[in-house]
Amino acid sequence: MSPELTVVLAAVALPFAAAAVTPLLFHVLGERTGYAGGAVAACCFGLLASQYGAAGTVELAWIPSLEVTLRFTVDGWALLFALLASGIGVCVFLYSPAYMHGEPGLVRYYAALLAFMGSVIGVALAADLVAIFLFWELTSLCSFVLIGYHTDDDASLYAARMAMFVTVGGGLFLLVGFLLLSIVAGDALGPAAAFDLAAMLESSDEMQRALREAGLFVPVLGLVAIGAATKSAQVPVHFWLPNAMAAPTPVSAFLHSATMVKVGVYFVGRVRPLLAGLEWLLLFATLGLATMTICAVLAVASTDIKELLAYSTASHLGLITAGFGFTSVLGAETGVFHLLNHALFKAALFLIAGIVAHEAGTRRLGDLGGLRHDLPITTLVTVVVALSMAGLPPFSGFYSKELLFEAAVEAGHVHDIGPLEWLYPAVAVFGSIFTVLYSLRFLSLFFGSRPAPLGEVSIHRPPVTLLAPPALLAALTAVFSVDPELAVRAIVQSGVDATAVSPHEMHVGLPTAYSPAVGMSAVTIGVGFLAYPFYGWIHERIRAFPRTLPPVSSNWWYDAVVDGLTDGGAWLASRVHNGLLRTYATWTLATTCALALLGFAATATIVPADVVGLDAPPEAALVLLVAVAAGIAVVRSESHVAGILTLSILGFMIAIFYILASAPDLALTQLVVETLLLVLFLLVIEEIPEYDEVELGNVVRDSVLSIAVGATAFVTVLVTTDARPAETTALARYYAEQAVPKGGGTNIVNVILVDFRGFDTLGELVVVALAAISILTLIIMRTGGDSE
Amino acid sequence: MPVGTPSDLVIAPMLIVLVTAVLTLVLGRRPRARVGVSLVGGAGYVLAVTAIAWYVVLAPDAPGIATYQVADLPAPFGITLVADGLSAFMLTMVAAIGITSLVFSARTLPELDRRSYYFPLFHFLLLGVTGAFLTGDLFNLFVWFEVMLMASYIFVAYYGGAQHTRAAFWYVALNLLASAVFLLGVGGLYATTGTLNMADLARRLAEPAAYGIDPGPVVGLLALLLSVFAIKAGLVPFQFWIPTAYRSAPPQVTAVLAGASKKVGIYAILRLSFTIFAGAQVGVDLAVPGVGTVVAGTSPLAFVGAALFVMAAASILVGGIGAVGRSSLEGILAYSSIGQVGFIAVPVAIAATTTAPELRQLAIVAALVYALNHTLAKGLLFLSVGAVRSATGTSQLADLGGLAGRSPPLAIAFFVGSLALVGIPPLSGFFGKLLVFDAAARAGTMPVLVLLVGGSVLTIAYTTRTWNRSFWGTRTAAVSRATVDPVKIGVLLALTGTILAVGIGFEPVYEFADAAAAAALDVEGYVEAVDPADPDAAGGEQM
Repeated sequence: MSPELTVVLAAVALPFAAAAVTPLLFHVLGERTGYAGGAVAACCFGLLASQYGAAGTVELAWIPSLEVTLRFTVDGWALLFALLASGIGVCVFLYSPAYMHGEPGLVRYYAALLAFMGSVIGVALAADLVAIFLFWELTSLCSFVLIGYHTDDDASLYAARMAMFVTVGGGLFLLVGFLLLSIVAGDALGPAAAFDLAAMLESSDEMQRALREAGLFVPVLGLVAIGAATKSAQVPVHFWLPNAMAAPTPVSAFLHSATMVKVGVYFVGRVRPLLAGLEWLLLFATLGLATMTICAVLAVASTDIKELLAYSTASHLGLITAGFGFTSVLGAETGVFHLLNHALFKAALFLIAGIVAHEAGTRRLGDLGGLRHDLPITTLVTVVVALSMAGLPPFSGFYSKELLFEAAVEAGHVHDIGPLEWLYPAVAVFGSIFTVLYSLRFLSLFFGSRPAPLGEVSIHRPPVTLLAPPALLAALTAVFSVDPELAVRAIVQSGVDATAVSPHEMHVGLPTAYSPAVGMSAVTIGVGFLAYPFYGWIHERIRAFPRTLPPVSSNWWYDAVVDGLTDGGAWLASRVHNGLLRTYATWTLATTCALALLGFAATATIVPADVVGLDAPPEAALVLLVAVAAGIAVVRSESHVAGILTLSILGFMIAIFYILASAPDLALTQLVVETLLLVLFLLVIEEIPEYDEVELGNVVRDSVLSIAVGATAFVTVLVTTDARPAETTALARYYAEQAVPKGGGTNIVNVILVDFRGFDTLGELVVVALAAISILTLIIMRTGGDSE
Repeated sequence: MPVGTPSDLVIAPMLIVLVTAVLTLVLGRRPRARVGVSLVGGAGYVLAVTAIAWYVVLAPDAPGIATYQVADLPAPFGITLVADGLSAFMLTMVAAIGITSLVFSARTLPELDRRSYYFPLFHFLLLGVTGAFLTGDLFNLFVWFEVMLMASYIFVAYYGGAQHTRAAFWYVALNLLASAVFLLGVGGLYATTGTLNMADLARRLAEPAAYGIDPGPVVGLLALLLSVFAIKAGLVPFQFWIPTAYRSAPPQVTAVLAGASKKVGIYAILRLSFTIFAGAQVGVDLAVPGVGTVVAGTSPLAFVGAALFVMAAASILVGGIGAVGRSSLEGILAYSSIGQVGFIAVPVAIAATTTAPELRQLAIVAALVYALNHTLAKGLLFLSVGAVRSATGTSQLADLGGLAGRSPPLAIAFFVGSLALVGIPPLSGFFGKLLVFDAAARAGTMPVLVLLVGGSVLTIAYTTRTWNRSFWGTRTAAVSRATVDPVKIGVLLALTGTILAVGIGFEPVYEFADAAAAAALDVEGYVEAVDPADPDAAGGEQM
């Protein structure tokens, strides 16, 4: 069965449309808007579910000139992710009205949440690189708005900006990667396939060969990895995710389980068939296992329940990345199955964390404990999902973790990777021990005795709308724990088919015989339980580490970069724009001269072939010599008055030169201008301070600059007069011949000014008018006008 | 020539703004009448520009280019106005931001225009910009530059305070230097080629032997002109006037300065480099002792490309880094303008450097689309700052906070404007970014890609900082008192909608930009349309 375009489009567009009308909805429904959101999410879920079993690509023209199309692929992998986004969306929307009761800014909250869901469904289904990027960036944008929900809380603003900076910054790398892909695809598969990811995946062998031939395989792989790693909070850019816990808890539940951070790993799975190979393995398995381990360790160091869950999310995303990193089919099975499991248990855990914070009034791990008496149902729900997170048999998380262990062991059989052959499994086990530890710690909130600070608080049972969503997710987890093959048959197998290089039938279940993976699981769980009594000691040791060595904390790097940029920006701006016109003029003139002289040098015209003008009449030479002498005198003059008077000598010499060159009009103009300038100068001279001592450095700078400017003007005039065509130009001949018949005047200059080029003169008249207006404006605004 | 042909359309926008400017000037002390005439003139301008875009470029049977010979004198003896795809694209941008700013100004009238000449100046500014986009004559270009600059000088000094006067003084001083350099370059070109008509120039440079000219000096002369245009565009190291001038002028004028005047510099670089000088038969070879050949090529474009790369890189870095550390909204936007113009110059440099025709075309399209987005987004942001300043009396980050809660529509406008600068899809800015990155990727120059990514990260850094400091955060006293004029909100949202519409409906925008780029590169078509008389050519017709 092939997918329906209208249904797919509706599933993507519906949340956006709903987001657009949220202000209206809220006006009518008030806080019950959350239930309307839930209905929208349910509709999307239904629409997507109607495509269950479909496979294929549908498209809608968008920008034909660029071969950009709104193209959507429906397959098991896309449906799994889109169904998760909309299904968990239903839970989050149903949970929100009770949790967010009485908060301000709910219009923005629900609108962003709806758009968020729509963007994720979009990423899941899109099969055009530009369309994917569109939805990809929209998820970053929506999470910015949602993380910054508490707009007067500094921690929220800090976290929102950090998330935006990291994920949109990472998006830039992804965009470059996409463009390189599209260039190769356009050549290898034809221009129509330039952005068509579905076509690239269909011809993945050919694409990979073309990429390697173009030498772009590793760059594309690296760029896609950066984009995915920033989105999915992989080490070393994981730090934005724990900070993002500043968001309201329902947002965290959504963001961590089935939306924002899953987008990265989802896409890694999506392009896996296209880019898989040894480089892929080395990059993603290493990245994923490092993230899985480091973030599990950091989760143990957490003091806040949301912080613990946030690091845990990063760790599990590392697990999924590592799974996809292993190129065997087991790797694909790990990634797909764990994405499903993690979405279910992590959404539930965040919603539980919200209940705990809501009812107990604190999120500090140290202040919580023994909640099972007050929250019995919540406790039961937590046991299921927390043990799934720990990877304990027979809970669903166990099966996907077993798959990871198997894939890690098998990695060495597929590729020759030297010592990594045993290092990968070892690291996977080491990281998983910490997973067991922090999962048990989370469970301990409900067991043991109530710590003193909590003693006085009366804890109410949560309303059913808060409890039902996590309970539903836990129930699903329980079902998949009891019968994992059900999940495989329902959707995981088809997800594996889409992400595996050579898919085959998948089976999971409780182990019946010994295998290395079983041994690894036994070690993980055994050591985890044995180490749990020492949790406090381990927790303190890890926490002490960044205190003694700040740079091991990623926040430290982020702060260093951002603060450095802010301070550096202020410093740079004050250095570059130092408020001294002479600095500005120096740079402007020096660059102009350098450009011009280099331009002449580049064409070897800087020295003219033969120097013209040596036959100038002696009177012209005399006038010019006087002008030069006056120029020298200006710079040597002791006072302003002397300087101005000598300057006017220069001006008058130019006027005389014009007379000698048979241009009396110009000479007259020059004389008028010179006279006026002289008068004006003498009028304002009183206001100008006398010369100070000038520093030698400035003298040198000014001299060099003056000489450069003079040389540039000199060279320009010299080479262009040298290049001047020998004969009178057609223009000159035309003006001479047509001045009388067309212009009715015998003075060619006048005719040119008012007739042939009267349009120029019109413009110049405007300039004169503007000059007059400028004077009026300055006077008016300074005396009586508005000033700010 | 019959009236009503595309040819007459060419001069229509200039006539309309000129008449409007004069009328508002003579209407003197009747502010309501002045505003009315001003708005009607603005609407007429938009109509005229739309008509040019449609009848000359976009209509199915459009000629692609139309010329108007002023006073019916044949080129190159009179002055020629030329409207082609490139001019029409630029004019459309100007019309969009011009009319928006005008409506916005009308609402700000009590603050701006008590007894002064705001509206005449505004239309004279438009006249200068429009003339620069339409003229086909190099000296005439100089004249419209002067008109544009003279009007903007006054706007920079408009509020009349000490800091405004100082900003205007710096602006005047640096631009007067530029004017002198411009004259030197134009004079040199006339001496070298014997013509000022751009089409004539292009033809002569392509076949120097036929006209008995030596094209050697034109690279140096083009370098002089390039400096002048770089000052207008505000490329580093010619950007010094921008921060203070953009802070001093009324924000709704700065929207036009950043959105339109700045683009005149870009336009002039494109027009001169690609339509006029690209075909010049002159070898470029610049070697540095010890380093070897730095620049080499068979046309002046090789030189232009190298120079632009350096300036663009410096602009992106200085503008981007500087913007992160600013303390006022105008300051941030002014530095951002320096950086963004670098992003426009990068593809222009790529177009100048490459010899592949498809890449050259693509790169110019990229520059144009990026420029369009900058006009819309930066215009929107400066107008938003105007609204913020009117409402709160301040634009200092330290005095702002919580604006989003106070005026959600204003926040939406500012948010979308910022996102368009960052290049978030599906806004207009995304396609600018996409095409610029694509051109760089196709050119295969790694350092340029690194620069673009780094510059874009800086954009994220300063836009998010600005947003957090002014629109989010604790509401300050100044913001608590603020009320924003609903008409201004309407204008801002209209521009916001335009940014969204350009992105979502990008296909026709792309086609327009593609036509504009094709026009910029179509030397023969340009020469043919202007059809300058050819008496100098060896064996050419005699008059």
